[in-house]
Amino acid sequence: MTTTQPKAEVKEFEPNIIGFLCNWCSYAGADLAGTSRIQYSPNIKIIKVMCSGRVNPMFVVNALQQGADGVLIGGCHPGDCHYQHGNYLARRRIGVLKKVLEFMGIDERRVRMTWVSAAEGRKFAEVIEEITDDIRKLGPLKQLKRVNEW
Amino acid sequence: MVDQKLLVEEVKKIVSQEDVKYVIGYKKGTYGFAISPAFAYSPEYVDKFIFNPLCKKNLAVYPILEEKLPLKKGEKADTRKIGVIVKGCDSRALNQIIQEKGQKRENLVIIGIPCTGVIDQKKIISKFPNVTDYTDIEEKNGNYKISINGEVHNIPKEELLADFCTSCVAPNPVIYDILIGDEVEPWEPQEHNNLKELNEKTIEEKWAYWEEHFQRCIRCYACREACPLCYCKECMADMLTPQWIRRSVNLSENTAWNIMRAYHLAGRCVGCGECESVCPVNIPLMELNKQIENDVKEMFNYTAGMDVDEKPLFGMFRPDDPEEFIL
Amino acid sequence: MESLVLSKNKLPELINKISSEHILYGPTEENNYSSFKQILNFDEMNLSYLLSRVSPKSILFKQTETLFKFIPGRKGSVKSSEIPEEKSVIFAIRPCDARSFSILDGVFNGDYEDPFYISKRKNTVLIGLTCNKPEQNCFCTTFDDSPGSSKNLDILLTELNNNYLVEVVTEKGNNLLKNMRSLLKEASKEEIQERKEIEEHAISTINRKMNLEGIVPKLDKMFDHELWHNTAFKCIGCGICTFLCPTCHCFDMQDEGTLKEGARIRVWDSCMYPEYTHHASGHNPRPARMNRVRNRVYHKFSYFPKNEDVTACTGCARCIDYCPVNIDIIDVIDKVGAILIE
Repeated sequence: MTTTQPKAEVKEFEPNIIGFLCNWCSYAGADLAGTSRIQYSPNIKIIKVMCSGRVNPMFVVNALQQGADGVLIGGCHPGDCHYQHGNYLARRRIGVLKKVLEFMGIDERRVRMTWVSAAEGRKFAEVIEEITDDIRKLGPLKQLKRVNEW
Repeated sequence: MVDQKLLVEEVKKIVSQEDVKYVIGYKKGTYGFAISPAFAYSPEYVDKFIFNPLCKKNLAVYPILEEKLPLKKGEKADTRKIGVIVKGCDSRALNQIIQEKGQKRENLVIIGIPCTGVIDQKKIISKFPNVTDYTDIEEKNGNYKISINGEVHNIPKEELLADFCTSCVAPNPVIYDILIGDEVEPWEPQEHNNLKELNEKTIEEKWAYWEEHFQRCIRCYACREACPLCYCKECMADMLTPQWIRRSVNLSENTAWNIMRAYHLAGRCVGCGECESVCPVNIPLMELNKQIENDVKEMFNYTAGMDVDEKPLFGMFRPDDPEEFIL
Repeated sequence: MESLVLSKNKLPELINKISSEHILYGPTEENNYSSFKQILNFDEMNLSYLLSRVSPKSILFKQTETLFKFIPGRKGSVKSSEIPEEKSVIFAIRPCDARSFSILDGVFNGDYEDPFYISKRKNTVLIGLTCNKPEQNCFCTTFDDSPGSSKNLDILLTELNNNYLVEVVTEKGNNLLKNMRSLLKEASKEEIQERKEIEEHAISTINRKMNLEGIVPKLDKMFDHELWHNTAFKCIGCGICTFLCPTCHCFDMQDEGTLKEGARIRVWDSCMYPEYTHHASGHNPRPARMNRVRNRVYHKFSYFPKNEDVTACTGCARCIDYCPVNIDIIDVIDKVGAILIE
């Protein structure tokens, strides 16, 4: 007699990640990853912005509030910014934002930044894999999420 | 300690100048240890001006609050200067505002007062509850000499000194037109309160600490209004399209507001402690501000409000800024 | 009115009995200030408090209240929030704060009826605690109130040496104590006398007073007086006065929600903010701080007395104590009184 064992249904947590990618490099990089048929985790939802310098740090906080478990900001490599130095400014802003979040008890690894050029489809896929892995380990974000109960 | 007579005399001279509209200073409040900001339009009014260790309020908030209402037909704009009495931290705030082009230097007459630290109202009230009036208060040899109803109390300075004063880096005004009294010897800035302890906590403990505080926030935005550097025409918290933060008061929105407030003061906070001391629910906002101040100092070697010609922290960059966090 | 005595060591028992049948709110102390919170255990309470920082109006008039929920879209629907029916008790409320409810009744149970407030008010028993040591700025006596007044309460406790004197004021209070009679005994003459002395002593320590004589007609004549400019100079518009005030009741209504569902909520607002009167057109009828400071004074000391026949101030002095720039309402009204207008 065989007893049917209930399947161990351990549903692994799938993180929700928002990516703010700059129009000129990172977004094109993501595009390249797609057209080159490189596989990467489907956890990221991409929002195109004109420049990583456009990313108001409150975008990040708001994304975390609305249910994102992590946020990625992608820009051009230093020196390659379409608008001269937008990515340099973004680097400062996000660097400080990570410190603020960390001090308040929100893991700074949830907010990531990367430089991906239009030619780096492979790198883009690798970055996505890496942060998805990281955030999967961190588990769902509890601290900032809106409850949406009235 | 500042010579009261000298202060009044000098301010009178400034108020009498034709190109000065008014001077903002301190006067005795209506009860107990209260201090009230005072606006002198005429030299006679200046007789009310005082300066003692209770004068904590950062007056740098006022020039920016000056309302410019639409002019009536034929009316001419009043372009006279505004005089402000400032301590070290207040002068840094003015410096920062001028640096950000929030105010024009030539519109201000800055009257600097070297400061040896101010008294925390909450501390002195818990020490002397229900005191309706005091005659005199001064600092002498590391003690505060407080005369109440003919009785003289000597209280060690540490007991009443406001917490944020221990980490002060500029007791002397960094920008001024006229300095009242002699510069004081700066002291070795110390770590703010329990910042070190807080940094040693695990991430869960940190959140538990802040969760408890943010839970209580009633979102009155007094921290914002009292801050001399929160002078946006329309605060992001008040915007409706887009609505950055919902109006409902709950943990998520309160945390978002507090992140926003702290973040927008990164590299701008001058450590005057106004936000914390006005907070009606005692949220230790200065711990946040000081931590960010330290982080900014470490990452970019930047201190807010020290140099009027420097560019704002987030308005500039260096190619070699730290980027070890970038993938 | 019935006067009873409760010995101090029986108070926990009374509290536990009340809290087993009611939602009980009481003063707690945290982070160096006290606030009214739901109490599950007697030890959580701190009865040596003076005044809660945020007034207990927050229990009946919550800072965030959901009015109704909705689902947007073609098949959308609206569902009103349930009116709370729980029986609750506010314990150890001060007479001045209790008075604020009778003032708020005129707002929420007057021309317009607010079902949330009315229901909560109806189902809430107010147990007061006399204020034996008023603080330096208290001025409740100005409004014919006193630190030991039982006027607006259902039950009033007074701390005596070893006992609490329990005065049962209303039928509501009587009903609450019905099955707790075993804990109480009849008060003696001496104890009633002692309570009287305590009240008189408390009144004698109140050293601030506002002169309200002729203020209402006078305010009518000085709408454009420079006093308002002079007072508003130092106002930083922080709104602490209105948020902590037990009688301030202005609110804002907002829709918030996700794509799937949402709700209309009511949140506290403050007339000290410029956005409060900001029209959609961009016009603001109270553009300057002067207008806003003046409005706060007029609302409390002119409009309210005219409409509701009561001054919208309880004399709790929260706005005086916590104003960062020392705008002292007693001082302002005194100045109004001192101004000569022909």
